[in-house]
Amino acid sequence: MKQTLHSATLDNGIILLGEDLPGLESVAVAFHTPAGAIHDGPGRCGLATLSGEMMLRGAGDRTSREIVEVLEGSGIQWAQSVSTSHSSFAGAMVARQLPTALPIYADILRRPSLPDDELDNALQMVLQNLAGTEDDPAHRAMSALRQLHYPHPLGMPSEGISADVEAIGIDDVRSFVAAHVVPREMIIAVAGRIDWNDFVERVSALFGDWQTDDPSTVPILSRGERVRHVSHDSQQTHIALAWSVPPYRHDDSYEASAALSVLGGGSSSRLFSEVRERRGLCYSVSAGYHTLRDCASAICYSGTSAARAQETLDVMLAEIDRLPGTIEEAELDRVKSRAKSALVMQQESSAARAAWIARQWYHLGTVRSLADELARYDRLNVASVEGWLAENRPAGLTIVSLGKEPLEVPREVSA
Amino acid sequence: MKFLHERLPNGLDVIAEVTDTALSTSIGFFVKTGARDETDAEWGVSHFLEHMVFKGTHDLSADEINRRFDWMGASANAFTSEEDTVYHAAVLPEQQLEVTALLARMMRPALREEDFDTEKLVILEEIRMYDDQPPFGADDRCRATFFGRHPLARGVLGTVESIERMPVEAMCDYHRRRYSPANIVLCATGAVDFKALVASARQWCGDWEPIAIPPRRAPLDAQTTGSATLECITRPTSTLEYAVRMSRGPAGDDDDRFAAKLLAAILGDTSGSRLYWAMVDTGRAEQASCHHQDFLDAGLFATQLSCDPEDAGELLAMIDTIYRQAAEQGLDRREVEQNRNKLAGRWVLLGERPRRRLFDVGPEWAHSGDYRSVADDLRKIEGLSLDDVHRVLARWPLHGTGATVLAGPLPLDPSLEPASEAQ
Repeated sequence: MKQTLHSATLDNGIILLGEDLPGLESVAVAFHTPAGAIHDGPGRCGLATLSGEMMLRGAGDRTSREIVEVLEGSGIQWAQSVSTSHSSFAGAMVARQLPTALPIYADILRRPSLPDDELDNALQMVLQNLAGTEDDPAHRAMSALRQLHYPHPLGMPSEGISADVEAIGIDDVRSFVAAHVVPREMIIAVAGRIDWNDFVERVSALFGDWQTDDPSTVPILSRGERVRHVSHDSQQTHIALAWSVPPYRHDDSYEASAALSVLGGGSSSRLFSEVRERRGLCYSVSAGYHTLRDCASAICYSGTSAARAQETLDVMLAEIDRLPGTIEEAELDRVKSRAKSALVMQQESSAARAAWIARQWYHLGTVRSLADELARYDRLNVASVEGWLAENRPAGLTIVSLGKEPLEVPREVSA
Repeated sequence: MKFLHERLPNGLDVIAEVTDTALSTSIGFFVKTGARDETDAEWGVSHFLEHMVFKGTHDLSADEINRRFDWMGASANAFTSEEDTVYHAAVLPEQQLEVTALLARMMRPALREEDFDTEKLVILEEIRMYDDQPPFGADDRCRATFFGRHPLARGVLGTVESIERMPVEAMCDYHRRRYSPANIVLCATGAVDFKALVASARQWCGDWEPIAIPPRRAPLDAQTTGSATLECITRPTSTLEYAVRMSRGPAGDDDDRFAAKLLAAILGDTSGSRLYWAMVDTGRAEQASCHHQDFLDAGLFATQLSCDPEDAGELLAMIDTIYRQAAEQGLDRREVEQNRNKLAGRWVLLGERPRRRLFDVGPEWAHSGDYRSVADDLRKIEGLSLDDVHRVLARWPLHGTGATVLAGPLPLDPSLEPASEAQ
């Protein structure tokens, strides 16, 4: 398949990435600034999220309302989100609207008003969202798992902690934006029906003269306990497990994610077959690969009624333990087919591709071609996956349960 | 993009929207059956059957089905609603024959009692899972009250009791009656080889025996849906209060359904709408939104609110005031234009994804026997005027009417009763 990728770097460090997707009418653009939740700071968990929200509440000469009206009135589907590593602003639109969209995003990123009189509303909005997550048991279990498993502050919830959010003032927001929404390490990715030269010209005119201090780094601390029960009044008990695997930029990451996919990636995976299909223990059970830049984890999840939760956990642990030494060629072939097929189908969405090429740059410092990516899957074989598993047996598990009663965890599993 | 249609002698419709530039092929079997087609004794059978279809046929095991989907790299799944049961898969074009054959064979499941008993446990887990999640059953209860004795009153999952009581024979009987070829549409979108699709349909579905299907439309009972009602589901440990409110709107065969969607966007889209600016932007509510949903013979506006329990009464009253002001003072030409562009933009983006188009093309044909291209819908949306939206507001006012159900820590409080002026 013919694929056209572009990249350029502005003098101030902004990385521009592009991909032509012939056949599409749309363009998606995404701005990823290094203002992620990792920079929240002690007692300020949620600062990045609140700052991202505040940046939309007036920028350049537009008010909060005018920004939304001009974006939506131009048929632009906009989105804003905060992850551990980035604060991101994105838009998907019919290609002819890109020249309308870019100056608005430039205002949001470079000239946010951060008005004092919007802080209370923005803060209440973040608190409302946090109150909503309290009622979502699966979300709470996964959030507790990440907090326990990753070294601090990598596992802190990007959506914040209510007590911390309540203490944030407008000066915190202004300092955060000034320090972390900066051109160095910022990625602007565009995909779809693009004119790359025109895009570079427009972005250079809007962002080229932006000069600030370089972004700061955050010290990573050690992790704490590995087993926790969260008490919650629910019919179901939610089980979340994690252990460490290599991050995406390691060559071994393909072996790791393939092994995890055999364990719990599709409807023919070990966990789905044994826990749901054969025993009928639950509705949802899965295993997957979750990566940050410098560390990654295998994450397994299931939710089941309290009376059957212990059996579910025991079967999950048994399947994890059984994995090394038992992978069959047919299983691996299915994993490879699923991964390759998903990669090709992703080319049908400009928004998915804009997100993907930005993610690749962040993790790898380059964008791999589709052909390269597919070849990496082709090279996987039972010997390479088993070789990796033999040296990296699942161990040192972090285990979170959420529900009425705690579960029994064998000591050797989390040691 | 071109549209193709062929009907097999036994009544099975085969349709495709072919996009030459697409990289994937999506295939779906759209069975015109859902919760509304169940009797009391069968409550939940449509959805339970959807699970059982993945448990295998007389010559395919459940494991074999799962392995084949994964081996093809298929993104496969199924869902059940009030009116449809849909089995779908997206694959690379070279897998079209294989995936069509697999889905077609699955439509004639073995329904083994042993599998039925195991899968029953999974269904009960699914019911418990939703029961633990917001809006804690408020949506199902609201639909039940709103539709009263109409078949659409029935929730999709059934209840713990109806599932526990159900014998496998009831499912076999339901399958025989409802999975008749004339009641199924085989739909494909994306890079489709239509000749091969029709050949596959003939090979795998040609011998399905046709069974007469009773008509599905039922008139709405004005008595049960016209008055304002309020109910509470008490969940003492919930953090927020959740409210669902339903009032009448245009049905799926009413030309005003497009204007109704525009009206719902103006009033209550998840961003940039009147409810958004009044409640979400200000942090008063976690969610305050409105959307229009249409069925074969009914339509509704559904309003959803989640907020601090102590604010629920005030915010519900505020929503009613916003709806009343829209009806009495009219809407602004600029907000109509803004939301029209927003819907059109959304439509173009969705329309260029064949995997998403399957869920527009399939149900449209299943419900109305019509095909509408993205361009047809865009013309419709772009042609909407302020007058169209005002006409919908006049025909189906959202204020002072409808069923409301709250779920959360609040006990039923008389001060939350809707205004008595409701008609």
